[in-house]
Amino acid sequence: MEILSTIFSVAFLAQVIRLMTPYYLGASGANFSERGGVINIAIEGFMISGAFCFALFSITFGNSMLALFLTLLINLLLAGFYSLFALKLKLNQILIGVGFNMLITGLAKFFMMLIFQSSSNTSRFDELPRLEFLRIIPFVGDVLSDFIILFAIALIFISNFLLYKTKFGLRLRACGENPEAAESSGVNVHLYKLYGILLSGFLSGLGGIWLASVQNSYSDGMIAGRGYIAIAAMIIGKWKPVNIFFACLLFAFFEALEISLQIVETGFPTQFIQMLPYLITILVLIGFIGKTKPPAADGVPY
Amino acid sequence: MNKELKINTISISLSLIITLVIITLFLFTLSKNPFEIYSVMLGEVFGSFYGFGQMLFKATPLIIIGCGLAICFHASLFNIGAEGQLNAGSFVTAIVLVALSDLPFILAFIISVACGFLVSGLFGLIPAIIKIKKGVNEVITTIMMNFIILYLVNYFLMNFFTVPATQRTIKIPESFMLPQASDLISAFQGSALNITFIFAILLALIIYFIIYKTRFGYNIRAVGFNEIASAYIGLKPARITLLSFFIGAGVISLAGINFVMGYKGYYEFGYTNNIGFTAIAVALLARNHPIGIIFSALLFAFLDFGGLAVNQIIPKEVILVIEALVILSIISVNKLTENYFNKT
Repeated sequence: MEILSTIFSVAFLAQVIRLMTPYYLGASGANFSERGGVINIAIEGFMISGAFCFALFSITFGNSMLALFLTLLINLLLAGFYSLFALKLKLNQILIGVGFNMLITGLAKFFMMLIFQSSSNTSRFDELPRLEFLRIIPFVGDVLSDFIILFAIALIFISNFLLYKTKFGLRLRACGENPEAAESSGVNVHLYKLYGILLSGFLSGLGGIWLASVQNSYSDGMIAGRGYIAIAAMIIGKWKPVNIFFACLLFAFFEALEISLQIVETGFPTQFIQMLPYLITILVLIGFIGKTKPPAADGVPY
Repeated sequence: MNKELKINTISISLSLIITLVIITLFLFTLSKNPFEIYSVMLGEVFGSFYGFGQMLFKATPLIIIGCGLAICFHASLFNIGAEGQLNAGSFVTAIVLVALSDLPFILAFIISVACGFLVSGLFGLIPAIIKIKKGVNEVITTIMMNFIILYLVNYFLMNFFTVPATQRTIKIPESFMLPQASDLISAFQGSALNITFIFAILLALIIYFIIYKTRFGYNIRAVGFNEIASAYIGLKPARITLLSFFIGAGVISLAGINFVMGYKGYYEFGYTNNIGFTAIAVALLARNHPIGIIFSALLFAFLDFGGLAVNQIIPKEVILVIEALVILSIISVNKLTENYFNKT
C-alpha cells in the first residue's frame, strides 16, 4: 500500500513530468526527422553530445546560458554533418545512425578523459537559471520554473501546429510521404529533409542539456538508452505529437515507479519495468496495440 | 579481375586510407605525435608473444560474430542485435555447463553450446518473424531486442544464478576449460589466447564455404540481392529470412565460448562491452566476406589492444571513435565507388 500512496503524491507526479522532458524532446526531434522521411537512430548520440558539450562549456565559461547556446550550435552542426551522409550520399540511414551513435559516444568518452582526466564524471557546475516568478504556482511551480520543461510541454502544441497548420509542416510531411510528388510540385525536398534533421539534432540536444543541467554534471553513460526510448515513444505515439507525449508520459511514469520501487523494496523485479518501453514498442509495431503507419517514404533515401 | 572484386578492393583500401588520414589529422590537432603513437602500438602488439596473443584473443569473438552477422547481411537483413544475442547465448552456455558438471567434457560441451546456439537463434527468429508477418523493419526490432534480452538475462542472473555480491555465474569445472596458448608456448604466459581462435578461423572457412559454394548460400545472396526477383525464380524469401536469422544469431552465440570456456570460466554481466556493435564495423569493412572478416577482426583487435598500450599518451576511448569513422567512411566510399563503376 505504501507504493500506492507514493504514486498518488504530488511529488511523484512532478517527478513524472520532469522525467518526461528528455524523452519528449528526443521523440519530437526524431518525429520531425521521420516526418521528412529520414530515420534518425542517432537521437541517442545527439543527446550525449548535448549533455557533454553543455557540461564542457558550462565548466569552461562558467555561464550556463552561453553554454546552452554553444551546445545547440554544435548539435546543429552535428545534425548538418549527419545530413551530409543521409541526403548527399544517400546512404543507409540506419547504418549512419549506428555510426553516429558510436562516434559521439566515443568522442564524449575521449574528450572526457583528455579534458577532465576521468572516465566517469566531470566536475560540478551550475544548473540553468529558473523562471523564479513561476515558482509561486502551487504544487507544479517548481517543475514549471524550469524553462526546458516548460518548453517540452509547449512543444506538444508547437509541433502539432508546425506539422499540421503551416506550409512548412505540409511540405515536410509531403517529403516523408511522397518525395517525388513533392518535388514535382516545386518543393525542395532535400532542404525540407535537412530542416527535419536539424530540428531532431536541436531538440534531442536540448534533452541532453536538460539531463546534464539537473544533475549538475556529466557522467559517462548518463543518457543510458534514453535516445532509444525516445524513438520507441515516437513509434508508440504513431508519429503524432500528442500521442507521442502520452507515450513519453507512460515511460516517465514507469521510470519514476522504478526509482520509487528501489526505495520501497516490493520485490517486484525492476528489470521488467526497465524492459517495458522496448517490449511495448515491439507489441505496437506488430499491431498488437492498434495499427501503426509510419510516413510512407520513411527511411528511403531520396 | 572481376568487377565485384575490383569494387571491393578499391573501396576497402580507400576507406582504410581515409580513416587513417582522418585519425592522423585528428591526433595532430590534439598536438600528439601520431607516428610515435603508431610505432608504440605496433611495438606493443608485435614485439612480444603476449601482445600478439592478446590481439588474437580479442580478434576471436569479432571473427565469430562478424561471420554470424555476415550471414544476415548477405540476406540484406540488418541485424543490430548481436549484443543481445551474444549475451543470451553465452549466459545459457555458462549455466548449462555448470548444470552438466558431472558429464564428460565433450558431452557437456556439445549440449551447452547447442543450448546457447538454440536460445540465441530463437531470439534472432523474433525479429525475422515480425518482419515476415508484419513487414516491420528488423533494425528497430533487433535494437529493441538488445535491451529486452539484456534485462531478461540480468533478471535471471541476479535472481537465480549469481554468485552473491557479484554479477557473474558460478565457475564451470576446471576440467571444462579449453586449452590455452600458454600451455603450448610458454611465451604466451599472461595472454588469454586459447584454442577458440583456431575454432573461429575454421568457422570463418566453413561460413565462407556455405555462403559462396553451396546452394543455400546462393539462395541467401539471391534473396539479399533482390527479394522479389528471387521469389520469381522459385526461392522462398520468407524461409531464407528465418533460416539466416536463426543461423546467424546462433553463430553469434558461439563467440561466448571464448570468454566462458577459454578465459574466465563463467558468464559475467556486461562482459560483451559493445563487442556486438564493433562486429558490425568488422563485417562491413570486410564487405561480409568471411575470409576478409578474419583480417578486419585482426585490425580492430590490433586497435583495441594497441589502444590500451598507448593509454598513457592518448585515451584508449579513441578506439570507439576510430571504429565509428571506419563504419562511416566504409559506407560512404562503398557508395561512391559503386556509383562510379555503375556509371562507367
